[in-house]
Amino acid sequence: MLPTLYLSDCKGSVKIAMGAVVCVESDIRGDVTIGARTVVHPKARIIAEAGPIVIGDGNLIEEQALIINSYPENMLPDAEDVEPKTMNIGINNVFEVGCVSQALKIGDNNVIESKAEVGRNVILTSGCIVGACCAVNTCEVIPENTVIYGSECLRRVQTERPQPQTLQLDFLMKILPNYHHLKKTVKASSTPARS
Amino acid sequence: MATLLQPEKVLYLVRGEKKIRVPLSQLYFCRYCSELRSLECVSHEVDSHFCPSCLENMPSAEAKLKKNRCANCFDCPCCMHTLSTRATNIPAPLPDDPTKTTMKKAYYLACGFCRWTSRDVGMADKSVASGGWQEPENPHTQRINKLIEYYQQLAQREKLERDRKKLARRRPFMPQAFSEKYGLGTRLQRQRSGAPISALYGLSLKEGEDQKEITIEPAQALDEVEPLPEDYYTRPVNLPEVTTLRQRLLQPDFQPAGASQLHPRHKHLLMKRSLRCRKCEHNLSKPEFNPTSIKFKIQLVAVSYIPEVRIMSIPNLRHMKESQVLLTLTNPVENITHVSLYTCEEEDPDDINSTAKVLVPSKELVLAGKDAAAEYDELAEPQGFQDDPDVVTFRKSNKIGFFIKVIPQREEGDVTVAFKLRHDFRNLAAPIRNTEEVEATSEAIWLTHHVELSLGPLAT
Repeated sequence: MLPTLYLSDCKGSVKIAMGAVVCVESDIRGDVTIGARTVVHPKARIIAEAGPIVIGDGNLIEEQALIINSYPENMLPDAEDVEPKTMNIGINNVFEVGCVSQALKIGDNNVIESKAEVGRNVILTSGCIVGACCAVNTCEVIPENTVIYGSECLRRVQTERPQPQTLQLDFLMKILPNYHHLKKTVKASSTPARS
Repeated sequence: MATLLQPEKVLYLVRGEKKIRVPLSQLYFCRYCSELRSLECVSHEVDSHFCPSCLENMPSAEAKLKKNRCANCFDCPCCMHTLSTRATNIPAPLPDDPTKTTMKKAYYLACGFCRWTSRDVGMADKSVASGGWQEPENPHTQRINKLIEYYQQLAQREKLERDRKKLARRRPFMPQAFSEKYGLGTRLQRQRSGAPISALYGLSLKEGEDQKEITIEPAQALDEVEPLPEDYYTRPVNLPEVTTLRQRLLQPDFQPAGASQLHPRHKHLLMKRSLRCRKCEHNLSKPEFNPTSIKFKIQLVAVSYIPEVRIMSIPNLRHMKESQVLLTLTNPVENITHVSLYTCEEEDPDDINSTAKVLVPSKELVLAGKDAAAEYDELAEPQGFQDDPDVVTFRKSNKIGFFIKVIPQREEGDVTVAFKLRHDFRNLAAPIRNTEEVEATSEAIWLTHHVELSLGPLAT
């Protein structure tokens, strides 16, 4: 189930580093920092509701992907003991079409395939692949190089991490500006406070 | 609404060796016996073999040699999906000049579903795109082949002796146990012409030839068994490394316990089969030889000969209260069909499932023929059938909708009704006896089918 959005708290600026390609049609709200060489497709949604989101370099966020830092479902935003937690996303990750990611910490070289759902209490380390339509809602740290696949979310470990999509990123960074307007890059003046 | 179109709600009874109740879409109709046939009362024969991923046809002899597996395609040992070949560029030293390196293409197998690659089990990348991949050899192949040869020879020898005894003594009470001990049953042998043992029986004339005496060593039982490792009970299990039963049993030669020993296997071939009526030995279904074609050379399916009953709408059904259920009847043939419905009699042996009484229309229903051009003809002329508006609700080209009255007899459970459907069938397969007579219509015979409808639970 998608979390409900509390629009009143989505304030803050979007900091886009040099070299990132972020299309205007994407929906970015809240305090979001996007690293260099990251490509954000149109209709992707990055919503920092309950805290800032920091996205590293070389990530690929495809259409209709939803990266959301939301309040846990049983808590209201007006409760006083809510501390804003930062969502950290590493480098060279791929968020394929239609996926939903609420994980607070994502490492490097992960792939979240189409229509997969990753819950808030999951921590993806490096090289993990969450297969298409797999919903991972457990409270655990997924070990490195794990592949989650199939309708029953079977798991196996692969021996090498998935390759970074450098070819795809280069291609998109050349082609997307031909067809879409891009959001202006705003240099981050200081690193955001990490709680 | 989509659930009402499910064909499992309307079942037709097939009176074969077993009484089977199946939806009409899964039945065949033998034109020569004029009876419905299901998959259980026909004989299945293999037509051709083909690989499901590369769609390559393979003659049966070659398929048997390759153990029914494709030569080019592989299955992922982890998720059984088809493997695809991927290429990477690796720097490799030039053969002329070892100091310089050029990019050479290296190929490896990868699964698109579970992301398994051939590098996971340690298989080196090949420099050829196809044909470089080998399956691991079974260490027991030699022993198994030798055993098979020995037993084939033994079976052949026994059969020769039995034939000799038959001719010599002619005793009528030949015990059944002597028939083909290591071969197949006689009935299957008749149909499976490619079986290896029957090929050997044809060599019975070569008695005088020296046949190599094959001897085998008996299997030796070992007293000592390898002891289990000491930490067998205490070592924590590494779950991703353990193979599932399915992965293990797909490779019966090795049955590896660890995922790092799962090697890919060649893909299994699929086959096209043809069906034959057991009584009159006519073909009921014969597909085309080409694997890419889904058409049939002979297709005697029941939906193209028997009128089909479908449920259109079910009202709320209440215990002991009469309600009207709307059904449709579709005529698949091109001539006018007359259909009459009868309720099942009191002690009908076919009527075991019905839980409600049904009142069917007593008049005969007339269905127009199927006209292929009718859908393009917007100014369809009225068909001039006099329909009783209480019974027939609508009529559209070859389909009519009509009511039946249902009175559920039980307070709980699903409501099932049954009735008999009688229609006329013109057999176009019968040979024209007299060519001088210009008889456009052939003889009509009346067929009766037992139809069961499951109308779902009672309304609460």
